[in-house]
Amino acid sequence: MHVNLQPAYLLHARAYRDSSQLLEVFSAEHGRLGLVAKGVHRRARGGSLSATLQPFRPLLLSFAGRGDLMKLLAVEAAGAGVVLRGERLFSGLYLNELLMRLLHRHDPLPTLFAHYGETLAALAGEGPAEGVLRGFELRLLDELGYAFDPARDVHAGQVREQAWYRYSEGQGLVACEGDAGIPDGRFRGEDLLAIAAGDFSGSAAAAAKHLLRRVIAEHLDGKPLHTRELFRQYRQGGSGA
Amino acid sequence: MKFSPALTELIEALRCLPGVGPKSAQRMCLHLLERDREGASSLAHALQQAVERVDHCRRCRNFTELDICEICADTRRDHSVICVVETPADVLAVEQSGSYRGLYFVLMGHLSPIDGIGPAEIGLDRFQERVVEEGVAEVILATNPTVEGEATAYYLTDMLLPRGVKVSRIAHGVPLGGELEYVDGSTLAHAFSGRRAVEQ
Repeated sequence: MHVNLQPAYLLHARAYRDSSQLLEVFSAEHGRLGLVAKGVHRRARGGSLSATLQPFRPLLLSFAGRGDLMKLLAVEAAGAGVVLRGERLFSGLYLNELLMRLLHRHDPLPTLFAHYGETLAALAGEGPAEGVLRGFELRLLDELGYAFDPARDVHAGQVREQAWYRYSEGQGLVACEGDAGIPDGRFRGEDLLAIAAGDFSGSAAAAAKHLLRRVIAEHLDGKPLHTRELFRQYRQGGSGA
Repeated sequence: MKFSPALTELIEALRCLPGVGPKSAQRMCLHLLERDREGASSLAHALQQAVERVDHCRRCRNFTELDICEICADTRRDHSVICVVETPADVLAVEQSGSYRGLYFVLMGHLSPIDGIGPAEIGLDRFQERVVEEGVAEVILATNPTVEGEATAYYLTDMLLPRGVKVSRIAHGVPLGGELEYVDGSTLAHAFSGRRAVEQ
């Protein structure tokens, strides 16, 4: 296979031998791919490949080969890309970890690819990051074929505003009576409907975070996300603990 | 033909080196035994010594066979400034530039959540203790200008600023002898946003 100037984002790079790297990229038409980039750190007239090969930047990659690990032939920047600063950098890394863990190689997801670009742009903006991340998580589940509708309970009935629900693994939202069930694992119908409508403000923000965390965890084979742990430690450190 | 058990074992052992596959390992092994027995035993001795004696410096985490490394123990250096770098090779690079006379802290990596490397793995908790204990005046963040390096720098900034420590980040821009035409866009953007007024 020989592909020319394929739009892609770098998800992760690992050093390999003296000046090469093993890349995981998310491309528009070929999905997640593994590539070997040779001589990344070699310098020529004040520039090197590694300056262009950075995450969160739209790239045009040319590569060739077969199997799981193809050879990177050329890289061009397809735009300035976004600059994520501070906490937003951790959010960006979280997106990349999600894609690394959940996408299968060679599974083209052009809609998700476009949405990833929009999500990065939104993260670089001023608006709150949480809603942007939740929107991406829902979209990701949808694109992977694990579509999850917060407005429907396990019997495909409409979620009622005043009722309480809990998330049951492998099934979906189950109505729970009164105070029964686990206190932390319950969601209010009102919040679920707000999430379904794409509104992640107020009490729906926390509900969306916990709900999607449970849903995503189901697809991660029980291994936790490292960026989430990093975020937790960062928050603890910030409060002076 | 099969190699004898000792040879096979040596070839397997050599393969733990980065970039050494079965063929290179075999070549190294045959060379050492056939042409350079003396070199082989001094290599074995040096390896044994290094593995047994070299550990991390208690203060900067750099490799040393002493409890506290030479740089940290040097009283002529400025003990109020600490430069945070990713690897021992970075320490060497900064030392060779001869432009810095403070102390170091070597992270032995950078925050890389996707690889499972968090703040504890790169010793940030210990670094925080050290900064507070020693009353350090300035911390220079010299992690690489990559996404992971920036994340590490940001994490450190957020950790140190509330403790009243001055934190600075090394500048990045056009390399000496470089040509603007060949420098990538984002490096140039950095160079422009970090420009300095020319003083008389």
